[in-house]
Amino acid sequence: MAGVVASYDWGLVWTNRNAFLDGLATALEVSAVAIVISVVVGLLLALARMSRPPLSWLAAAYINVFRGVPALVSVIWVYFGWSLVVGINFTVFQAGVIALVLLYGAFISEIYRAALEAIPRGQREAGLALGMSPLRVFVQVVLPQATKIAVPNIGSMFIGMVKDTSTFTVIGLLEVVRVTQNINSVTFQPFPLYTAAAGIYVVVAFAVDFLVRALERGLATPPSGPVARAATARRRRRVEAVVQRVEAVSGAR
Amino acid sequence: MTTDSAPSAAAADRAHDAVARDVVVRLEGIRKSFGTTEVLHGVDLTVHAGEHVVVFGPSGSGKSTLLRTINLLEEPSAGSVQVLGVEYGPAGGRRRGSAVELRRRVGMVFQQFNLFPHLTALHNVALALRAAKRVGRDDAEERAAHALRQVGLLRFAARYPAELSGGQQQRVAIARALSLDPKVMLFDEPTSALDPELVGEVLGVMRTVAESGMTMVIVTHELNFAREIGDFNVFMDEGVVAESGPRGFFDECTNPRTRQFIAAVL
Repeated sequence: MAGVVASYDWGLVWTNRNAFLDGLATALEVSAVAIVISVVVGLLLALARMSRPPLSWLAAAYINVFRGVPALVSVIWVYFGWSLVVGINFTVFQAGVIALVLLYGAFISEIYRAALEAIPRGQREAGLALGMSPLRVFVQVVLPQATKIAVPNIGSMFIGMVKDTSTFTVIGLLEVVRVTQNINSVTFQPFPLYTAAAGIYVVVAFAVDFLVRALERGLATPPSGPVARAATARRRRRVEAVVQRVEAVSGAR
Repeated sequence: MTTDSAPSAAAADRAHDAVARDVVVRLEGIRKSFGTTEVLHGVDLTVHAGEHVVVFGPSGSGKSTLLRTINLLEEPSAGSVQVLGVEYGPAGGRRRGSAVELRRRVGMVFQQFNLFPHLTALHNVALALRAAKRVGRDDAEERAAHALRQVGLLRFAARYPAELSGGQQQRVAIARALSLDPKVMLFDEPTSALDPELVGEVLGVMRTVAESGMTMVIVTHELNFAREIGDFNVFMDEGVVAESGPRGFFDECTNPRTRQFIAAVL
């Protein structure tokens, strides 16, 4: 077995490392732009879903359809279909981003809906009772808490997105799988090349997991973790400065 | 406060007082239904400036729902809500003030504190000031610090709610409501979620607020505190005011249901 594995030309992976890294960069760029837009779209869809019919029905229909559509189909619709029907030609990068947003907006809306519904009713009531407008209560009280709940799942969505960019080889996006295919077409070494591609996705998954954990710790109340502690220390120093000013004016605590 | 069952001599006293004192809250014929279940069957309540009104009664008697109609967290199904002379009754019909404006003049303290867990104690108060009073950031933080000092929690200003005891959280919540300079404060069972040893500090703060002359409506099960602080006392049962009266009510009430409830709790 070891002999069989060793008989492949693993050196090819190293020789082509720059091509692989370019592919990774493209996959990450498409996914990064798409996740930002998907979070906004997902939040709006979640609000639509939680509103009154017929808007809630439309949102539910959209969500259920696009959660079921494969990324491969989505990108073909956007890149070829949109061009045929409307006459607009997207670049492969744009088409990739839109294809991901169509799918992941639907997934993230469900993540946000669950998170928004998990915020106790008393939070909204307390904001309203303080004379805050409903919009302000949502933006400053409910949304930050819901986002904290949604973050780990949104991180998982990002990992899924990066993997889904592998299907964008059909429109010619130079992502990891496309790069692998190109190298394979001249070297005929699919096993080491595709294994290397898989390794890249796994590394991305680990890295995203690490970053999301750091972000989660930062959003915890009170925050923990080195980055968050530094940020909190700043915030607390600011509060202490106010406290000292007030003490100076009014005497003992 | 005016009800049919109030002792007549006391009612006469209050009628006399009412002429002299401004009415802050006037509820008339408040009805409230959830689905097909009516939980308030036409309740009247009048609160005058500086008065401390205590509302008590068994669970499910409608006392919290009644309190929540005053700042329209519950929209009454029927009846009139007047706060500081403005009518906020059910939509349609008479002129109606905006709920946001109403709430900026009415403070509320909840059973579950409802502090914002993602903000420090100071910023819980400052957010309210910035949002409701349009105070700038620095000014809001400074006023928030003063509010925390009033409840003895200035040195906990940088803590998050999760880093405070229940009693401290409730005191921050009281500071948050007071910082908006309300004309009346509503307390919805403010000590019911607290461990017994933490009840005293919250009641202490409420006593200070009462002594400052604040108009207060307090829903509570702490009948000793109610007896001490209540200028007017309302016993609710099954969605109506069963009996009410001024100071001395706890000894002078005549309704057997009231006496039975007080005997069971005290």
